[in-house]
Amino acid sequence: MTQFVFTFLNGITLAGLYFLVASGLTLIFGLMRVINLAHGAFYLLAGYVSWTIADKTGNWLYGALAGSLTVAIFGTLVYVLLLRKFQYEELRVALITLGVSLVLAQAMLAIFGGEYYQTNIPKSLSNTIPVPGLGLSYPFFRIFVLILAIVVAIGLWLFISKTRYGAIIRAGVDDTKMVSALGINVQAVFTWIFFLGSLLVGFAGAVGGTTNSFGMGTDGDYLLFSLQVVIIGGLGSIGGVAIGSFLVGVIGQFATGYFPTFAGIITFAMLILILAFRPQGILGKKL
Amino acid sequence: MTQKRITYGVVILLSLIFPFITPDPQFWVSSGGTRALWLGVAALSMSFLNRNLGLMSLGQLFFSGIAGYIVAISSVDHNVKFGTSVPLAILAGTLSGVIIGFIALKTKGVYFFMLTLAVTLGLYSYANQAQEITGGHTGINSIPSPIIFGIDFAYVKPLYYLFLAIAILLFSLCKFLEQTSFGIALQAVRDNEDRMISMGYRTTYLKMLAFIFSSFIASIAGVMGVFYVTNISPASVGLIRSIDLLVIVVVGGATYLGGAFVGAVLIAVFEAIIQDFTSYYVGATGILFIAVLLLAPQGLMGVASQIRSRLNKPGLSK
Repeated sequence: MTQFVFTFLNGITLAGLYFLVASGLTLIFGLMRVINLAHGAFYLLAGYVSWTIADKTGNWLYGALAGSLTVAIFGTLVYVLLLRKFQYEELRVALITLGVSLVLAQAMLAIFGGEYYQTNIPKSLSNTIPVPGLGLSYPFFRIFVLILAIVVAIGLWLFISKTRYGAIIRAGVDDTKMVSALGINVQAVFTWIFFLGSLLVGFAGAVGGTTNSFGMGTDGDYLLFSLQVVIIGGLGSIGGVAIGSFLVGVIGQFATGYFPTFAGIITFAMLILILAFRPQGILGKKL
Repeated sequence: MTQKRITYGVVILLSLIFPFITPDPQFWVSSGGTRALWLGVAALSMSFLNRNLGLMSLGQLFFSGIAGYIVAISSVDHNVKFGTSVPLAILAGTLSGVIIGFIALKTKGVYFFMLTLAVTLGLYSYANQAQEITGGHTGINSIPSPIIFGIDFAYVKPLYYLFLAIAILLFSLCKFLEQTSFGIALQAVRDNEDRMISMGYRTTYLKMLAFIFSSFIASIAGVMGVFYVTNISPASVGLIRSIDLLVIVVVGGATYLGGAFVGAVLIAVFEAIIQDFTSYYVGATGILFIAVLLLAPQGLMGVASQIRSRLNKPGLSK
């Protein structure tokens, strides 16, 4: 029973982290049809930057801010300098971002080496909370991650579907020429979406670098998680990411806890099974 | 046509005499020639799909990995002879193409690309986790080399000629298939699938066959990799290796079959040279890759026609 409850808690809080990681990917794709395969490398970059700043200043929040902003600016630069010209060639853009991830991974390896890092949990959040009925306690910070994910999910949904800016973004995607003709700078809108999407993965890197250790190879792992989440949930849908994160997080944790050898295979089998019936993912639009 | 034949003749002749004319044969035949042939065959399986179906697959390493691990595990852990394990491994790799193809072929374009990437990364994480089967992170080492008709392929030159024979055979097979009615139907599906369906073709079936064929080539490449590197580890199916193959295909020219080998030779030589100077090989490849994508999306094979069309532009625009 104890193992069950803890596995579930681990799974659902991990799902929160996956949501934070994958929401940026799906936001950018859903609105711009641009798939950023440097997403895992962005996550890792944010982890390193946040760790460094948090270590220097002793303040977790400064670290998280620095990590998110660095990645947001870096991502925007990648978009403006390398991707914008080919935005409508999906595969070419995907390939260029893969190239970026290679260069970035190598640069980070050169600077930070092969060791693993983990940012310290901020003091005010480092307490544990009791799990009712079991007489055991669970680290509060992990619950905090889940709360953050829920806040971001609601915020994103409100922003995209309820605000004027969200309306401009959606319109800019559906009919770029018409929106430009209305006097809105669509290029600037796209640049902001890329900024926001990168900011999200940067924030995820700061948070994830506190709950889990990171280092060489983490970029590939988180690229895989994000791809699994968005493929299962449906690319481009925020709700899909929520469902995908929940499935990958919870089922992944149960698989790791109860059948460690087959953990990778079980998540993978789930992915195959879902795609066999819904190639576009659970909430994805029809291909 | 004759010009093409002459080119092929010259390339084959050069590859045949390469071990005798290169300086420092021990190094260059192995790190340049044999390596390029192995990577070239792996890349060929990607080029074939891209050229004939317009699908860029990163799943080829999955098939290579399945075949490679089967050969490695059966020969090192269970002492199975290569005569049994190699055909079995290629069969298993090819058949896994049926399962992956069944799912992946429902998608197109960038979805297909992502899905096949996830498939390969899935095998990577499994290989890392399943310690008792795959040896985990360190993988399976000191895989023996095959001895066929008394020739020991642990030596550099025999292995090179074996790989050259395989490469020529598979390349010709691809070329041959492209000219058959099957190949032409495939290219038509690539260009307009709806029209082919309305003409009564079973396009799913055609695409499936092409995908299985490409996983067959990838499986052979997987076995070649085991014999060349003499070990296999999760890194053999990891993200960096997947991107390596992609770089080869794109740099060589993704819409040309020969591009796979042009890219492979270039990357193998690039790797061999740069290793002496810097450990930043991966980053350097990344920069090369981005540069090619930005400047010459048709790759090296396409550079000539790219220049020609640019020179012709001011006069007559088509």
